[in-house]
Amino acid sequence: MIFLLYIDPGSGSYLVQVIVAAVLGIAFFFRNIKNYIKAFFYRSPKKPDDKSEA
Amino acid sequence: MPNSFTPHPSSFRDPSGFIFEKDGVLYRQVNEIFKEDFDFFVSSGYYAKLVKQGLLIPHETIQENLTSSSDYYLTLKPETISLISYPFEWSFDMLRDAALLTLQLLKESIAHGMVLKDATPYNIQWHNGKLIFIDSLSFEKYDEEKPWIAYRQFCENFLSPLLLMHYSKLPLQQLHLAYLEGIPLAITKSLLPWRSKFSLHTYLHIHLHAKVSGKESTANNRTAKFSKQKLVNLISSLETLVTKLKTPGQQTAWSAYYNEAAQRDDYLDRKTEIIQGWLTKLTEVKTAIDFGANDGMFSKLLASNNIKTIATDFDPICINNLYKDIKSKKEEKIQPIILDISNPSPSIGVNNTERIAFLKRAKVDLAIALAVIHHLAIGKNISFEQVADSFQQVCNCLIIEFVPKTDGKIQLMLNNKKDIYNNYTEENFTQAFSHYFKIEEKFPVGSSGRVLYLMKKHG
Repeated sequence: MIFLLYIDPGSGSYLVQVIVAAVLGIAFFFRNIKNYIKAFFYRSPKKPDDKSEA
Repeated sequence: MPNSFTPHPSSFRDPSGFIFEKDGVLYRQVNEIFKEDFDFFVSSGYYAKLVKQGLLIPHETIQENLTSSSDYYLTLKPETISLISYPFEWSFDMLRDAALLTLQLLKESIAHGMVLKDATPYNIQWHNGKLIFIDSLSFEKYDEEKPWIAYRQFCENFLSPLLLMHYSKLPLQQLHLAYLEGIPLAITKSLLPWRSKFSLHTYLHIHLHAKVSGKESTANNRTAKFSKQKLVNLISSLETLVTKLKTPGQQTAWSAYYNEAAQRDDYLDRKTEIIQGWLTKLTEVKTAIDFGANDGMFSKLLASNNIKTIATDFDPICINNLYKDIKSKKEEKIQPIILDISNPSPSIGVNNTERIAFLKRAKVDLAIALAVIHHLAIGKNISFEQVADSFQQVCNCLIIEFVPKTDGKIQLMLNNKKDIYNNYTEENFTQAFSHYFKIEEKFPVGSSGRVLYLMKKHG
């Protein structure tokens, strides 16, 4: 395990957020389409972007 | 000395301001450097909205430079928190709710043109029956082109312990003691099972995060632009992950304790009756600790007498169940805390003063320790003198139950160990406690053979 003591611990998180956000952008794009289709067929009262599970 | 003040030992990381104590009162100074952000926070109405929603601690503004420092801008006097507690004393659901509160605040902040600049559980405290955000200097103006500065902090302080507990199904609160600034992602990644990589959100926020953040940053990283929508997606992903996590274990060795105890003749009724009788007389008692609270039956009795009670137990599942119960019933007077009396939280952090030891932090009028003494004296070979010393450090008044050696529970304990407890007698018990306390009253609890004592500290 390598601990990089001389780099700002936040700097890598800067880059990872850009990558994570890109992946999420794609994932949420397809999720929204899925929810939209579901809502169309099932006439669900749920809004397409409703994520509440609890 | 007109300007004597003590900076709080845990308030040194953020240059925006600091907490200090003066004449026994806690204040927060806002420094000149943070003037613009703080003014925006208040003038936009966002501060008032958060206070109204009960998400942020309210403060009074004091137009006086109490520290005489040159970078002074404002002095705030926040509402008092009765007992500061730390994440290593919280149950799973408490930490999860603290994580969700942080994300909720971040989401609201973005809608108000602000952002949370840190994400640590130490900024969240128990106040009037729920977890509340206490750092009013954590909100700064939002620059949409920048990613969330506290993302890694959130992953290490909240996601790491929650995911480790979720996957291992073990109470691992104590990891917070070892890693005061959050569990490093590289460690979390190694400890998580391989299958955790198949959860998209866990993979992104822990596995990929650990891998990428181990690399050196380049100039390109810094210039890569972010957007509001990207941050909203990030929050949504974190929220989905945290909400899905399951509390490790619902049942405990102690969870059936009261059902079983209630069946013992009139034991619980009589015990409640005696304690209620004393509470009626002890009008000066406003705060209490219940050591070994279990499901909180007696903490609730204290609360019903209008006494602010810290309900402690070493069993994280008991405390988690109690937390859920308090939350659903909106019980304001009970604060649940995981605490092992034989090993209370130590002082840790910079100079060993950043986070304060439990016995130094908790000061109450009354402590109750019911059916606890035999677990310490016989279960852990701790002397009566040591137990009495622990209790006298936190309370003025003590209600304690003595369990005789002939008791069925002690006999059960002695089945599997050698009886080396010749000193375990009621006489030695009262003698040891008399060193610190004056015995005011004692009553046998029905026909159980157990005895309840009411004691008051000398002097």
